[in-house]
Amino acid sequence: MAAALTLEGVSKRYGDFQAVRDLSFQVQKGAICGFLGPNGAGKTSTIRMILGLQAATSGRIEILGSDDGRKVRDRIGFLPEERGLYKKMTPVDAIAFLGSLKGVPTAEGRRRAREMLEAQGLGASRNKKMKELSKGMAQKVQLIAAVVHRPEFVILDEPFSGLDPVNQMGLETVIRDLAANGATVLFSTHVMQHAERLCDRVVLVARGRKAFEGTVAEARATSPRFLELEGIIAPEAVAGLPGVTGVEILSDADGVRTLKAALATHAAGQETLKAAFLTGLDVRRFELRQPSLHDAFIDLTGDHPDQDQSVAKAASGAAR
Amino acid sequence: MKRTLLIARREYLAYARTVGFWLSLLAFPLFAVLGGAVPILMRTSEPIRAVALIEQGAEAQGLSAAVRDALAEDARRRAQRAAEAAEKAAQTGAQTSAAGNALRSLSRPGLRLVLAPADITTATPGPEQDAAVRRHLDRDAPEADKLSAVVFLTRQDGTPAARVWTARASDDTVEDFVRDALKDFNRKAVFEAAGINPSVVESTEAFRPQVTAFSPRAASGGAVSFKDKLPGFIGLIGGFLLWSLIITGASILLNSVMEEKSNKILEVLLSSASATEILAGKVLGVAMLTLTVMSVWGGIGLVGLLSAAPTQGAQVLEILWGGGLLAWFVAFMVGGYLMYAVLFAAIGAFCDTPRDAQTLIGPIMMVLVVPMITMQQALTSPDSPMVRILSWIPPFTPFLMMARMPSHPPLYESVGALVAMFAFALFMVWVAGRAFRAGALSDVKLSWKAFGAAIRGGGR
Repeated sequence: MAAALTLEGVSKRYGDFQAVRDLSFQVQKGAICGFLGPNGAGKTSTIRMILGLQAATSGRIEILGSDDGRKVRDRIGFLPEERGLYKKMTPVDAIAFLGSLKGVPTAEGRRRAREMLEAQGLGASRNKKMKELSKGMAQKVQLIAAVVHRPEFVILDEPFSGLDPVNQMGLETVIRDLAANGATVLFSTHVMQHAERLCDRVVLVARGRKAFEGTVAEARATSPRFLELEGIIAPEAVAGLPGVTGVEILSDADGVRTLKAALATHAAGQETLKAAFLTGLDVRRFELRQPSLHDAFIDLTGDHPDQDQSVAKAASGAAR
Repeated sequence: MKRTLLIARREYLAYARTVGFWLSLLAFPLFAVLGGAVPILMRTSEPIRAVALIEQGAEAQGLSAAVRDALAEDARRRAQRAAEAAEKAAQTGAQTSAAGNALRSLSRPGLRLVLAPADITTATPGPEQDAAVRRHLDRDAPEADKLSAVVFLTRQDGTPAARVWTARASDDTVEDFVRDALKDFNRKAVFEAAGINPSVVESTEAFRPQVTAFSPRAASGGAVSFKDKLPGFIGLIGGFLLWSLIITGASILLNSVMEEKSNKILEVLLSSASATEILAGKVLGVAMLTLTVMSVWGGIGLVGLLSAAPTQGAQVLEILWGGGLLAWFVAFMVGGYLMYAVLFAAIGAFCDTPRDAQTLIGPIMMVLVVPMITMQQALTSPDSPMVRILSWIPPFTPFLMMARMPSHPPLYESVGALVAMFAFALFMVWVAGRAFRAGALSDVKLSWKAFGAAIRGGGR
């Protein structure tokens, strides 16, 4: 399958602040790719470089066969992280206007806008002013505006932020539909669950560097399976069990601890558990767990995805 | 280009579709008319005051005649002024119906002398007479007996004096009129006592020397007429008009960009069009808006002028078209607007609120006071070194050159300043384009340093 997007050794520097370092990855045509990392990891800077809004300090970017996102902007749909539309315009007018900038005739844009608003349950609000809509409704309108021209490549920057769980599920459906209709989707998020449910492939970034590129399953495989044990147990005793490579204390309440025991790659969890009982450990609850993408991210980067890494942002201005 | 036009269209309609825009558009001519008409309406709607004169004592004899004569003279002067104005209006072909009615209304005296009621004249001076006066001034008095004022004329230490009773304490019309009448009467008496003929004094005070201005640059080659002075006034008005239109347009643009920045729309726009297309579209849209305002105001002004004073209206048109002043006005308008509009838009791209913009707009507005002051000097001394030098400085060129144009500056100055202005305007477009792109994607706090860095970095 051909690549819709290729980044090779891309870096971005704002003064003394290095926002993106030597970043390389590919997104295949028709795929849903999650661009994952904490706030301030360099996701928005990378997206702006892909779109051609900002120049890379070094490296090469190719999108839809072009070396400059601006040359193919009509084939790209973009939903920025900080969202907003003209408050005094109606959803239909706003969508038709943004569509017209992407080459959709105004009348056709208005027709599509009405159709898409109806499909999203916003038919009754299509002629209200944007300022009269709720935040969730306004975000839906903006998403429609981003894809009204039926783009080949859709870039969504933190699309789930600010949405309630119901609207988040709705957005996941929209993203799946976009891909089903042949569009390539790249979306950034710091919430790993969305990526786990949606993505064919993920790119994990932290502190401006790529930590991983591959499928969700491959990402999970980089992280060990683990046994979660609860009881009056000493961590040292658990560390001595067969197949255990490391022990982490998750909680400790009056001596009753919850321990996370990482297992070696080929270790059998049942054997470890059996040994725990045979040695007389006071195990009151146990669970053999597969690693999540969240676990994989922490293992791969050493950082937590919910941790804000944009400490240098204030000093550098546009350092996101 | 298509995207530029689409953005321009949206920008134009965003304002032109609002009720506020049309209200403010029509408010200016409406208030201009009202500003002229209201004082006349107020004067014409004033009631004519019924005034009774009473001479108190034998020494006051002749004072009521003096007041009566003064009132008659006042009425004669008003009628004469109205007749002169009507004649002038007829000569210039102005509409006479409404203006004539207004003039006739103004020519009416504000006072009407009536016979003093018997119950006042027969009452004993003092509390009894005062009580009779109060009855006639009372608002509840029968219409037939009601008076606006009662004037007791007397003499104190041999000079004319008066006690003026008025129905309303705040109304000093009668008081002022009586004071002036007695003052004139006294002056006349003093001059006569000194052996001076009062008519000699009167004619001396009324003397106005006949001074005629001549200039080789006058249209007649000699005597200077109003028509010769008209281009200067038009140039000055044109300069001020340019200043206000350019600054108004640039400010609209500043607010529009700030609104898009604070509403997080600029990044979406930048993903759909280039910074240059967005900037050009917005500048064009607001230019169309300014043009609409200019056309409506200009149209109303022209129709009003041609209706009220066709001769002067034709002269103004002749100067604007024949003298090429209109073409210069358009050229300076385009260049000046471009310079300031792109700069204000670029500043707006860095700001979420007007307070943020104040850091940069404040000093710019201070600099813009310079042409406002200098333009007035350009009317009388268009070739003074100060005005000539300042008119070569591009940010001042549109206003000062417009004010100078009627004095026909050397061609190299007109064209040279125009070329320099457009070169500078293009430089500003380049600078503002870079700053605009950087500002649109930045959340850095605006300062001259940040603005300079954005221009150097080119926003990418």
